[in-house]
Amino acid sequence: MASASIPVYNSSVNPLENRSSQNASRESLKMGPLADVTLLPGEERVIEHDKDIIYMCPFNGALKGKVFITNYRLYFKSADADPAVTLNVPLGVIGRVEKMGGASSRGENSYGLDITCKDMRNLRFALKQEGHSRRDIFDILFRYAFPVSHGLPVFAYLSQEKYEENGWNVFKPMEEFRRQGLPNEKWRITFVNETYELCDTYPTILAVPFRSSDEDLRKVSAFRSRGRIPVLSWIHRENQAVICRCSQPLVGMSGKRNKDDERYLDLIREANGTAKLTIYDARPSVNAVANKATGGGYEGDDAYQNAELVFLDIHNIHVMRESLKKLKDIVYPNVEESHWLSSLESTHWLEHIKLVISGAIQVADKISGGNSVVVHCSDGWDRTAQLTSLAMLMLDGHYRTLRGFQVLLEKEWISFGHKFASRIGHGDKNHADQDRSPIFVQFIDCVWQMTKQFPTAFEFNERLLVTILDHLFSCRFGTFLYNCESARDTNEVRSKTVSLWSLVNSEASSYQNPFYTPECSRVLYPVASMRHLELWVTYYIRWNPRIRQQQQSPVEQRYMELLALRDEYLKKLEELQLTDSSPNSSHLSNSSTPNAASPTQHITHLHTPF
Amino acid sequence: MEFSEHIKTANVEDVVLRRPFYQPTKGTLCVTGHHLIFSNRGGDSARPFLLLLRNIDAIEKRPSVSSGTITLKCKDLCVLQLDIPGMEECLNIASSIESLSSLETVSEMYPFFYRPPFLSLQDQWGLSSTEQHYAQMKEIHDGWRVSQVNRDYSVSPSYPPAVIVPHSIDDETLVKAARFRQGGRFPVLCYYHRETGTVIMRSSQPLSGANRKRCREDELLLQAVIDGSELGYIIDTRSSQQAQQARMTGGGFESKSCYRGWKRLHRQLEKGKVLQESLIKLVEACGDQSHSVDRWLSKLENSKWLSHVQTALSTAGLVAECVERDGHSVLVHGSEGTDTSLLVSSLAQLILDPDSRTLAGFLGLLEREWVQAGHPFQQRCAHSAYSHVRLRHEAPVFVLLLDCVWQLARQFPLAMGFSEPLLLRLAKEVYASDYGTFLCNSDQERCVTGVKERTHCLFQSLLRANERQHYSNPLYERTELAIWPSIQPPSLQLWKGLFLQWTDDALHLVEAQKVIQNLVSQCHRPLNEKVENTDG
Repeated sequence: MASASIPVYNSSVNPLENRSSQNASRESLKMGPLADVTLLPGEERVIEHDKDIIYMCPFNGALKGKVFITNYRLYFKSADADPAVTLNVPLGVIGRVEKMGGASSRGENSYGLDITCKDMRNLRFALKQEGHSRRDIFDILFRYAFPVSHGLPVFAYLSQEKYEENGWNVFKPMEEFRRQGLPNEKWRITFVNETYELCDTYPTILAVPFRSSDEDLRKVSAFRSRGRIPVLSWIHRENQAVICRCSQPLVGMSGKRNKDDERYLDLIREANGTAKLTIYDARPSVNAVANKATGGGYEGDDAYQNAELVFLDIHNIHVMRESLKKLKDIVYPNVEESHWLSSLESTHWLEHIKLVISGAIQVADKISGGNSVVVHCSDGWDRTAQLTSLAMLMLDGHYRTLRGFQVLLEKEWISFGHKFASRIGHGDKNHADQDRSPIFVQFIDCVWQMTKQFPTAFEFNERLLVTILDHLFSCRFGTFLYNCESARDTNEVRSKTVSLWSLVNSEASSYQNPFYTPECSRVLYPVASMRHLELWVTYYIRWNPRIRQQQQSPVEQRYMELLALRDEYLKKLEELQLTDSSPNSSHLSNSSTPNAASPTQHITHLHTPF
Repeated sequence: MEFSEHIKTANVEDVVLRRPFYQPTKGTLCVTGHHLIFSNRGGDSARPFLLLLRNIDAIEKRPSVSSGTITLKCKDLCVLQLDIPGMEECLNIASSIESLSSLETVSEMYPFFYRPPFLSLQDQWGLSSTEQHYAQMKEIHDGWRVSQVNRDYSVSPSYPPAVIVPHSIDDETLVKAARFRQGGRFPVLCYYHRETGTVIMRSSQPLSGANRKRCREDELLLQAVIDGSELGYIIDTRSSQQAQQARMTGGGFESKSCYRGWKRLHRQLEKGKVLQESLIKLVEACGDQSHSVDRWLSKLENSKWLSHVQTALSTAGLVAECVERDGHSVLVHGSEGTDTSLLVSSLAQLILDPDSRTLAGFLGLLEREWVQAGHPFQQRCAHSAYSHVRLRHEAPVFVLLLDCVWQLARQFPLAMGFSEPLLLRLAKEVYASDYGTFLCNSDQERCVTGVKERTHCLFQSLLRANERQHYSNPLYERTELAIWPSIQPPSLQLWKGLFLQWTDDALHLVEAQKVIQNLVSQCHRPLNEKVENTDG
């Protein structure tokens, strides 16, 4: 059973020519190859018949099989390979579809389709030149993989899925503020943005200094890029230090000042008597200066005398996009073997992760010390969201629970207008769009690094993180659609689509970390040293069957078996003590022997990511 | 000779000790024949800090007018510092440490003086003998026998007195075959695969030399191994070029024409100086305390340590693949047959054999394949990564084995009956130990110096009930299947538990691991009596 995953130890010489092929189950594959997929409610085939196609698998070579396409997925199953190779690709994952080869193409299997996916893989199919099978598949894929470009709805609007839980109820802004102890005598809740007038990319409900009027807020919004004024994200229960987030001030080349903005930041400082308000500008200082040319900038010393400004040197979305692209180049389809570590280093991916995490550590550390902070970058929806949400994860145990983490994402990312639609390009054919960037993937990677370093501190497991990233692209749920709340309102996302959290919370146990030990008040400071950061192999290289990364799941599964075993044993023991006041020892050991043997049936740790 | 000759100053007051994870403490330093003892004056109940002098790899002294500083770099990779008042005291202490830590007479080493109350010299030394091992494997009794041909170590000075060989080969043939193998290390059995009936053998290189000498007895011996099946594989742990060159110095390889049915494959595994230098580079990169450790991954790559891990695992995988999936017997050898051959054969057994993956089974494997099989521990582990002494025979082959085993355990977290702390303990003990297990270079030397009568056996001690629990993997779930490691570079990781164990950053990661271990162990608690019975 482990055969599909056995690495090849002997690539240069092959002494093992006479390998006996085991094709016992081949018969069963011949009948109805694609009958075994269950379509989602609302999912419909858009190609009526299964098409013959060759999947150019980078690991197993060319595989003949059949393919069908629905309004949600592309499904392929090989006909000959044993075990069968299947592909189950949500169309939302597809970033680009290209034709390869033309009428004059010579080489075998050189005529077909090349599909670039957003989840670190590419798919290549070869087709016969006769008939118009390629044109048909290409047209259909192009139309359904990029519905937005064709005026069609994304699948989330067609889905008829029903779940016990309604995930849209997970995050209620007022409840979350109340949990944090707000409003209080220093901070008030304002509905000034109820109709998105103040800021069209902010949520409707905001927490602001008690002493600032709504009129003040309007004035401040004029001086902040896209009206994204400093508002409270999180408050420390004991020392009342706060994390505020915003966009850059519109200082410009002339070095403009704004009295209202200056006074407003001072109100934030005053709220808990912070001596000097720390402003974390996520950008490298050079970039912050350069932004002045386009009207932006940073808080100068003269204007903001009670504040200190710290640059965190995190690069922009373009740098991150290129970095992940380089990473993909060295892991897919084949891992760059000869200089793996230096190649990995030259992608700078881990270095970027390090800078984001160490920035968040600085924020969390300031807050723990009782000092309020303001975090921004340029627009305050990429790096800012990374920093505030990671710092909140370090500071507040609630966000480390399964539901608390959902609240954190809903709050800091979704409601505060991380531009998911632009960054991911949901349903959009424009693959080269400069607005695309894996900022959210990078954030989830940082969370994963933390879960690795603190294996008992998070209620959720790695599977949740991978599931979130899968549905970041899939368009099956409404959760990550659109750029901001106002767009979500206009398009009635909450009433017309299903939330990802409906799926997750309806089967919560499979996303839970059995080692979780709640310690709400503990502040987690991860190690942000390059020596302790790891590449998230289980995500980035999961398509490669030759990689057997350390998977947490068998360990979790085994632990749960052991727990069950213990409980059963204790129960038996109790029963015996109840029925027999002087338990006879041979009886006792006999009764538990079958239990001790039962978990050895599993061989889960030999499973591969496939 | 008296140890006291080396000790000019036995006690110094007001010494400040600085070591990882502890605040600097002031106390009394005492030098004995085998230890540095540091006791805290403050009268607090903490036990004195004990450092085996043998553990010290390098010593650096910086004396000044009224005091001095001694930096001790240990073989377990820990770095300590002593601030000693008085220049003369400082120099005296330093010279005592220098001479006492490099004593080379085996019978003067600490294991000959270590007498803990919980162990008795009357206990059996070692876990098992060749005869006992053979007796347990009933299924091989038809085709294989125990030969005592080396009972007086005259055939091969580095082999144990008894070895397992094909039934049809008599001792006379063995004696002749041994003359044709370097160090007399003729092919012997190390693993029998029940399902396919094939075996893993190991030996040293044949002495075919420049004029392609042959030895009929050696050929007969190998012929007997694959009797009936048509093919066997010789995995030579040198490149084919190296094997060719070895002929010029009297060594060589099995030529196709002389060994019919045997096919040779070359897989170059580094050993000796190359491996030692790799370790030195790695430890240097790990110890770089500057916080802007940029280019860390490049430094890690430049050390080449992980590529040695990769080659070792992939060669072992190849051996296991030949045996399990293709049903062919394998002979492994390099040149001496005391380093890379042992590495490959023991890793292949771990991949294939569930019995070798239990705590007791693993220690048994180490005893058979390393201690009895004559890995020259004393030469290989005389110094570790810090020493300034000119390298002679040092090479961290055993540490490389432990690292590979750690990688296997990481990829198969349920398959091993033992845990990372065991591997860490072994990595420390192999360089400096209270026990006699890793003393000397061969079984013969151990007999001559009385190691088996006058020291305690580490493996025995590790299997005592309370130690056993500490070193067991609470997640262990026996699998009968082979565990095929992935050897792709992203699947292999730096063994932080060993190489970064003394850095502050590693501390909370270790703590986290302990918490997990404890959680799992807690579910065993009510079941404990059962678990002990089922662990084989």
